[in-house]
Amino acid sequence: MAARVVSRNVRQARPGWAALATIVSLIYFFPVLWIILTAFKTYNDALAVPPEWLFTPTLENFFSVFSRAMTYQGAAVDTGFDLFFFNSIFIAMTSVAVALVIGTAAAYGFSRYPLKGNDTYLFIILTTRMLPPIVVIIPIFIMFREVGLSGTYLGVILLYTAFNLPFTIWMMKSFFDELSREVEDAARMDGSSEAKVFFKICLPQVIPGLAATAVFGLILTWNEYLFALLLTGVETRTVPVAMGQTIGGAIGVRWGLLAAIETLFLIPVVSVTFLLQNQLLRGVTFGTVKR
Amino acid sequence: MSTIELHGLTKAFGDLTAVKSIDLTVAAGEVVCLLGPSGCGKTTTLRMIAGLEQETEGEIRIGGTRVNRLTPAERNVAMVFQFYALYPTLTVRENLAYPLHADRLDAGAIEGHVRRVSGLLHLDAVLNQRPGQLAEGEKQRVAVGRAIVRDPNCFLFDEPLSRLDVQLREEMRSQIKEVLEGLNKATVIVTHDQLEALTMADRIAVMRHGVIEQCASPHDIFAKPANLFVAGFIGTPQMNLLPAVLIGSDDCGVRQGTVTSSARFRIGEGTITLAVDPAVGRLAPESSVTLGIRPRGLELVAEPQADSLAARIDLIEPMGAETLLHLVDGSLEFRIVVDRRTEARVGERVNLRFRPGQTHVFDGSEQRVAS
Amino acid sequence: MAVAASGVRTRGGFLALSWSNWPLALVAALIVIALAVWLLPGTVAFWVSLAAAAVVAFTAVAFAYGRRNNGALLVAPAVALLVVMNIFPLLWSLGLSFFRYKANSIQPPAWLGIANFATVLTSADVWDRLRTTGLIMILTVSCQLVVGFLLALLFEKQFRGRRVLLMLVLTPMMLSYVAVGAFFRYYYEPTFGLLSQFVRIFTGEPFLLLNTPWGARAGIVFADAWMWSPFVMLLVLAGLVSVPSYLYEAAEIDRASWWRKFRTITFPYIRGLLLLALLFRTIEAFKLFDVVFLLNEGGPGTSNETIALYIYRQSFQYNKTSYSTALAYIMLFVVVVLTNLYLYAVNRRAREAA
Repeated sequence: MAARVVSRNVRQARPGWAALATIVSLIYFFPVLWIILTAFKTYNDALAVPPEWLFTPTLENFFSVFSRAMTYQGAAVDTGFDLFFFNSIFIAMTSVAVALVIGTAAAYGFSRYPLKGNDTYLFIILTTRMLPPIVVIIPIFIMFREVGLSGTYLGVILLYTAFNLPFTIWMMKSFFDELSREVEDAARMDGSSEAKVFFKICLPQVIPGLAATAVFGLILTWNEYLFALLLTGVETRTVPVAMGQTIGGAIGVRWGLLAAIETLFLIPVVSVTFLLQNQLLRGVTFGTVKR
Repeated sequence: MSTIELHGLTKAFGDLTAVKSIDLTVAAGEVVCLLGPSGCGKTTTLRMIAGLEQETEGEIRIGGTRVNRLTPAERNVAMVFQFYALYPTLTVRENLAYPLHADRLDAGAIEGHVRRVSGLLHLDAVLNQRPGQLAEGEKQRVAVGRAIVRDPNCFLFDEPLSRLDVQLREEMRSQIKEVLEGLNKATVIVTHDQLEALTMADRIAVMRHGVIEQCASPHDIFAKPANLFVAGFIGTPQMNLLPAVLIGSDDCGVRQGTVTSSARFRIGEGTITLAVDPAVGRLAPESSVTLGIRPRGLELVAEPQADSLAARIDLIEPMGAETLLHLVDGSLEFRIVVDRRTEARVGERVNLRFRPGQTHVFDGSEQRVAS
Repeated sequence: MAVAASGVRTRGGFLALSWSNWPLALVAALIVIALAVWLLPGTVAFWVSLAAAAVVAFTAVAFAYGRRNNGALLVAPAVALLVVMNIFPLLWSLGLSFFRYKANSIQPPAWLGIANFATVLTSADVWDRLRTTGLIMILTVSCQLVVGFLLALLFEKQFRGRRVLLMLVLTPMMLSYVAVGAFFRYYYEPTFGLLSQFVRIFTGEPFLLLNTPWGARAGIVFADAWMWSPFVMLLVLAGLVSVPSYLYEAAEIDRASWWRKFRTITFPYIRGLLLLALLFRTIEAFKLFDVVFLLNEGGPGTSNETIALYIYRQSFQYNKTSYSTALAYIMLFVVVVLTNLYLYAVNRRAREAA
């Protein structure tokens, strides 16, 4: 059928609906919009009373983020945000990637080789995601210190990978469960090894699941604050932690700078989410809703 | 007055025109089947009558009133969906009662209607179950029940029996027919199953590519197909459609009370002389035609005759009381149905005689030549 | 522990010394860890405990997969990492909570038994924080459910620009907590904050929000609900979109009213997802730390100190390490109980519908 039918949406919404949705969305988005606008304001403009709606935009905040010429109490100080951005991107991408690899493998294992009590094990795995971080933060902190992982990339990546694993396993398992076994059996009868069956047949079919998991993992680790605060060192600090330190300054919050940092920080995660919007819907429901 | 009228109804989806300006009238109490292969536009037409699709052009009248601008609710039609569309969280009783809430009846009246329909369709045993617990046939009956529990302007059925197995289909066919006869409302049934159409309809509208090829009673559709498509579509096993060239037609004669002509055709390697409709005489000699004869319109004869052709048996398909033989002669393929006791062997050469008066002639534009 | 309750039998009985006898390994590990923490100096105790945990993990996986090596190979890396990063610290915490341990002192831990738990459960401070947390939790989750639901209704149908507008509404979820905390503090600020300036149009007076307990509470709830309602929206939207269109068509033909259609068709489909949203957001609200900390540090004073923030302070500011671990464990217990309740409810509903 040539017409586009989006499940429930047999007919377009009433004509005024787009206008209503636009108004509501813009109101909801307003606080974010203000942050973005503030990024382009000078320090005085940002604090202006009444608020400046029309102002001359400046890029000085953006330059400050990456330049090393910021002054703090008169002394030139490295903002170092290029390092922090790199750290955030590197850590997030690596932990998501690793979680995807070993999580998908585990999901395949759980799906294709189910055990008695499979559900119990999966439930336990899921509850690790629900742990209040407080419960594990102290032992992990001590653990890292003892083992020398404190402040290293490896330590944080391992931890974030462990964070992403439960969700990855659940998502990917639900995807693997849905695959039809007939195609795999046919391939096996044709002499394919198990590895080939996995890579050539199963994996291509679950790419939407990989996408959804990646997006969620990214969002989760991107803004993570508590563990990053305690477990990253000077060289491995991520942007959220660095932002937190920017706030606590004797000169008061440099709103423009903070806004610029946050605006830049938003770009990767927003882009990824926008591209994979459709997968997000599936991911959020843990694959429990059949489309 | 429960009637349906379609005038010049058209539906286009972008570049694709699914329904091309069709006209149809369904009288009160008449059952019309929209029959055709998938993609012919029959379901789209039905949905336009229901109001679930917006027509591109044309007019729809239900009970004489123009309904183009009315919502499905306002048109007061009842529809049985292909996938039943039963409300999964409601019991059968609640499903049946659902349409009645709009009529603002009191609980007693509603219960009365539900009981009536449930008795009619033998659903008393499952009234308190949910659709998820029902068998396929029961689900179908609930869907039908939900449609007949109210008093709508007309009934619309979308492939009602397509999801049932053969046995259930037979049962439900007769049940639905009985029910519809009692209700006396204009009814449109969409189906791709010709047996359904032939048994249930007062008239069949055969559709192809958005156009109604022929709209007539089942008998006329079968015996007097308007064109090649209808001829080939109706009747199992399929009608033999043989390309031939008209050599000439002779004087009219009268045969069994019907006026016929005797015409000679070049077919395959040989020629054949058949008694056909006199209108064939209007065709120019050497015009290309297609001869149509049903598998039961052929018979095996021992000796070649003026109205027979020779062919070799290629495949034998037993069908129980009868046997279907596939025969080949050069590029021509034949199908003949014979009694099961007839002896036949693959490879055997036999003579096929065209029973008198059974042959249809289709001209170059695929229309049946008839007076 | 749930694992032990799954009723699996090991080959050769409980005391058999085999690589797949995980119940034995588990019990042995617990004993070893307890002894190590008690008797051995810190670092050594740590490594011993880690080794014990690794043995348990190994036996568990070996048991589970027995002859089917493929499965074990696939699952083992993930399980190992989870055990090291999650299970092991959990067990460590549990062990820790039975002692008096201060992270900054060099004294060996003193055995307290359940004294820590007793102190926690009788502490007025703790109950006060729990009350605060509960209050904030109820407020923010209700707001999220309502707003999220309304937003889902808004985005249910197809219209021009839906994709872009949906994206706009999702951005609050993607902001860093630091930014949200800082900027909402900015918005709430009496002199130059946007909220105050807006109110000043009507009252002419600067509007103070964060300096009263209830004001700060409102500020926290608003910021948190604003951030996470889109999450609820996504869940409900997934449900709305999954309803087969022919059900709505049948209801239209049956002339059902809008309310009827909602009640009989829409709501059953989204009910499960609303519960899921309720569960997730409740657990997250219970753990609420970042927004509270970064907005106002749980102020004014400690009036809005959530339980997570309290634990954090006890641990890192007052160094009452094992006290806070005990409390954290109680928190964990609550979360597990809540999750189990939810799963029980879901399973029961699934069985009903079948």
